[in-house]
Amino acid sequence: MNKLSRLSLFALIAAGSLLLSLQAHTEEQVATLRKGTELNKENPKPAPLQNPSNKDIKRARSYPMQPPTIPHKTDNYQTNLNANKCLSCHSRSRVEESQAPMISVTHFMNRDGNFLADVSPRRYFCKQCHVTQVERKALVKNDFKDVNEMLKKDRKAH
Amino acid sequence: MTKYLLRYWRIFRKPSVHYSLGALTLGGFMAGIMFWGGFNTALEATNTETFCISCHEMENNVYQELQSTVHFTNRSGVRATCPDCHVPHEWTNKIARKIQASKEVWGTIFGTINTREKFENNRLRLAKHEWARLKANDSLECRNCHNFEFMDFTRQSSRASQQHSTALGSGEKTCIDCHKGIAHTLPDMSGIEGWE
Amino acid sequence: MSLSRRQFIKAQAASIAATAGGLSLPAASANLITATDETSLTWSKAPCRFCGTGCSVNVATKEGRVVATHGDIKSQVNRGLNCVKGYFLSKIMYGNDRLTTPLLRMKNGVYDKEGDFTSVSWDTAFDVMAEKFKKTLKEKGPDGVGMFGSGQWTVWEGYAAVKLMKAGFRTNNIDPNARHCMASAVGGFMRTFGIDEPMGCYDDFEHADAFVLWGSNMAEMHPILWTRLTDRRLSAPETQVCVLSTYEHRSFELADLPIIFTPQSDLAIGNFIANYIIQNNAVNTEFVNKHTNFRKGNADIGYGLRPEHPLEQKAKNSDNVGGSKPISFEEYAKFVSEYDVKKASEISGVSEDKLIKLAKIYADPKIKVMSLWTMGVNQHTRGVWMNNLIYNIHLLTGKISEPGNSPFSLTGQPSACGTAREVGTFSHRLPADMVVKNPKHRAYAEKIWKLPEGTVNPKVGAHAVLQNRKLKDGEINAYWVQCNNNIQAAANINEEALPGYRNPDNFIVVSDAYPTVTAQAADLILPTAMWVEKEGAYGNAERRTQFWHQLVDAPGEAKSDLWQLVEFSKRFKISEVWPAELIAKKPEYKDLSLYEVLFKNGNVDKFPLEQTSKDYNNFEAKEFGFYIQKGLFEEYAQFGRGHGHDLADFDRYHEERGLRWPVVDGKETLWRFREGSDPYVTKGKGFEFYGKPDGRANIFALPYEPPAESPDEDYPFWLSTGRVLEHWHSGSMTQRVPELYKAFPDAVCFMHPKDAKEKGFRRGDKVRIASRRGEIITRIETRGRNKPPQGLVFVPWFDARQLINKVTLDATDPISKQTDYKKCAIKIEKA
Repeated sequence: MNKLSRLSLFALIAAGSLLLSLQAHTEEQVATLRKGTELNKENPKPAPLQNPSNKDIKRARSYPMQPPTIPHKTDNYQTNLNANKCLSCHSRSRVEESQAPMISVTHFMNRDGNFLADVSPRRYFCKQCHVTQVERKALVKNDFKDVNEMLKKDRKAH
Repeated sequence: MTKYLLRYWRIFRKPSVHYSLGALTLGGFMAGIMFWGGFNTALEATNTETFCISCHEMENNVYQELQSTVHFTNRSGVRATCPDCHVPHEWTNKIARKIQASKEVWGTIFGTINTREKFENNRLRLAKHEWARLKANDSLECRNCHNFEFMDFTRQSSRASQQHSTALGSGEKTCIDCHKGIAHTLPDMSGIEGWE
Repeated sequence: MSLSRRQFIKAQAASIAATAGGLSLPAASANLITATDETSLTWSKAPCRFCGTGCSVNVATKEGRVVATHGDIKSQVNRGLNCVKGYFLSKIMYGNDRLTTPLLRMKNGVYDKEGDFTSVSWDTAFDVMAEKFKKTLKEKGPDGVGMFGSGQWTVWEGYAAVKLMKAGFRTNNIDPNARHCMASAVGGFMRTFGIDEPMGCYDDFEHADAFVLWGSNMAEMHPILWTRLTDRRLSAPETQVCVLSTYEHRSFELADLPIIFTPQSDLAIGNFIANYIIQNNAVNTEFVNKHTNFRKGNADIGYGLRPEHPLEQKAKNSDNVGGSKPISFEEYAKFVSEYDVKKASEISGVSEDKLIKLAKIYADPKIKVMSLWTMGVNQHTRGVWMNNLIYNIHLLTGKISEPGNSPFSLTGQPSACGTAREVGTFSHRLPADMVVKNPKHRAYAEKIWKLPEGTVNPKVGAHAVLQNRKLKDGEINAYWVQCNNNIQAAANINEEALPGYRNPDNFIVVSDAYPTVTAQAADLILPTAMWVEKEGAYGNAERRTQFWHQLVDAPGEAKSDLWQLVEFSKRFKISEVWPAELIAKKPEYKDLSLYEVLFKNGNVDKFPLEQTSKDYNNFEAKEFGFYIQKGLFEEYAQFGRGHGHDLADFDRYHEERGLRWPVVDGKETLWRFREGSDPYVTKGKGFEFYGKPDGRANIFALPYEPPAESPDEDYPFWLSTGRVLEHWHSGSMTQRVPELYKAFPDAVCFMHPKDAKEKGFRRGDKVRIASRRGEIITRIETRGRNKPPQGLVFVPWFDARQLINKVTLDATDPISKQTDYKKCAIKIEKA
């Protein structure tokens, strides 16, 4: 990049941020989720419908007890009195063929904590805990700290 | 009775005196085309989605279910109509299926599935017919569009390419083994292979 | 011994070298941290922050931060399970935009309604706020101030707010957002039984043979109760599930009998079932004769709109909406006989066959039925009636108060029962079902509170919708909003909510943890501590009171609602807020502050700081110098003990996973009104509905009446609003949890594919949804979890960027004053 174009880029950014700050001054918006749209106005561009991520890549869990999010699409996956599509891959008897992760052992426990021969019916509706994810930036950054991060920090301090 | 038949048979066999052989052959040929054309037009007319959903049993049940699926509406707008999946494309099989379908006319007249409840009660039986047919013909109607040879596994999700390159590639599995209920609501699946 | 990753790698290299050289070195660990002092977490119990189910969760903390949460295995409610929201509770407090300092609209260094939000100290914030409240009290008296609270307040926060408003400022202009949620259920309970909250409990789920959902999408809204219902349905296959709704949703996945009915026609269905029971001799005559009365309620009662609205002008009984007169069984039977299956089917659009199947479930004496409902019934311009009609069915058949036979009203907020209802934070109520209108109840409150006779104002205050109207009209000028997001939640925002907040005559204070749209509309924003940043108590839908300790400290200057309420009371002298006649009755109070009279009254400050837990911090107790939560709770508990609302001792709740009141002789009550289960039932009576003086519950004759607004040529669609599984409480917490946001990021308009086709819409098209009141821009969704019938669309309201309540109608049930968010007429055009 030559000096001139770098300069003009800088000028552009400066002008842009000046414009932004001016706007922020005239109609100050603190409601983060509205991203600057005034309360009595309408956002003319609602986000387009977005399909869930379908990359089959496992995501890190925030803590061991967190139910894993679903790394694939589940359009038309039927879970009702007739059938449970999720279990046709993730049940104990199906994982060898499907190579999908088996539902965890907790899913075999009934209300009293006893292990049943098969999945407990209380866990029948998978999507109550497991959800798909669209690929999008978080609306607001979350400062939750993973416990490992904290342990590492501790060790540095030692 | 035999006498009558015999008489007609003789007339039928007797050479023509008024028309030339050429005219007769041509006439016969033309009539054949017309008959054939008419038959095929009629056949094709019954082979459209409009015909299928002219019965409310189809329109209110299976067609409703189809509409939210990828076989009805999708990225590129290529869609499957009822006969694409449910009627063989090859002629002899098509005729065989059509003869079978006369039973469905019977069903319509006598209202075998004319209410939602009746349809639901018969859903498993009806679905099993289709699964069996597709299993027997190695999912031919699926393969009319989804040709294994031209699948680009890199364009598939990793779990799909994994399954397709192994089980499907080796011929151990056919499409319908895994893709049940992709276009319609599933019946009670207890005891069905792969859904235990 | 601790080992860093680097040390570990070094050690490993050394070990390889050593092994190669034939030596061995002691290893500290593999790639895993094993030292207990490092990996051990502190686990504590707390109820979930979200819905009225009241799941208990285990919360892990490490160095003052929540690092993990999971379902509490010891809790009877959820037995180790959580829904997806519950599993992500760990993240709700850590949104990057937490409010950490008071923000006041200022220009040139002073408060200005048109100014910019400027960070100020608590002192400045309270100075300005007290000045505005004092000015209003002086000019307009108690009617000029108001407060909008919450079913998410802890029990003592709600109680402190009631004291501050009703006893301190002597106004009943205090209402919780539970008004939007549970008011019709309360109305139903009071009219039928004379005492609030369900007679049954969640144990009914394991005992019922049939479940009927009357306008409740439990699969998404009460997921953990849905797991109990699913468990029962699938493990006992003879069980049946009937789901009634105006559109198909996830609960239909389990429905043996799915029913889609025309909006408002549930009234006709309810009456038809009662009629069917009578026609088919299925009335439990003995039960009905012994334990019920029949009454005919006033009809044609209007729609809770402003009095000048033509619909209100037209209504015959808009001045006596709750009135009723006694009738005989025969008169009742004649009244409902009009609702035969043909008529019910005509009004509702449900097939006769299905209606009869549903009626048979109730009529069969061998089937134990649990009826469940939430917003479909409560957010209804005839919500109280609909509650009454469901009780009618259970009372006619005697299917009540026994395991599995249970009309069960579910709640939306975590403490709609515990705080809003039991504490009585409504504009007409006092604790333990008492009301301000009743002089005996006022005297009772004044006695417990050690206040002179006549302190509590007998005039019913402004309810939620009326508060917004009064703000707009400039009748309420100083207003405090805590723990809710009413600019997103109230109906008809553009016409009836925003104008009041931005009215130049008004000063609006909003306390919240996050900068919500309501905070945006405020003049002063107070940063608030949330959930386990304070000691708290919630009461769930089955009368279960649950406690938790303060587990972590709030960020920055954020302080709990309790601290804010009590600290603010210090700024008022009795002489500034009470009239001379009242002070004359207790002249010794004259120069005391509200704090001293309300909170240092010998009750609230009775328990010393030493009684707080050694293992947990308690910010408020330390600030005020006594165990304030215990003092408030024990004073509050005096209202209900001995009156059917008995609560256990404070300390016991910290040990238990909650207890269901009445707790008598240390034992909780599972089923009320039945002998052997409820200690309040007189011996030998069998059943006793002791909320009514004669011990009998009421069966009400109430007709079908049309909704306030129906689709027409100009506005041809029904709009129903509601929630989704992943978001709760207007999304103010859940939209800040990345996983929940990404699971359901934006509101959409669920529409029938045929409707979309006819309108020329494709899935994903940008559309403008408009009513006579307002509009939003959203996207069309023709697939997914909700499948509306033709002519109706569903839009969830969690999305702050698409305020669907600009479109809804502020018509309410005239009895309960609860808004109907499920029905209004709209049009949809491409945007």
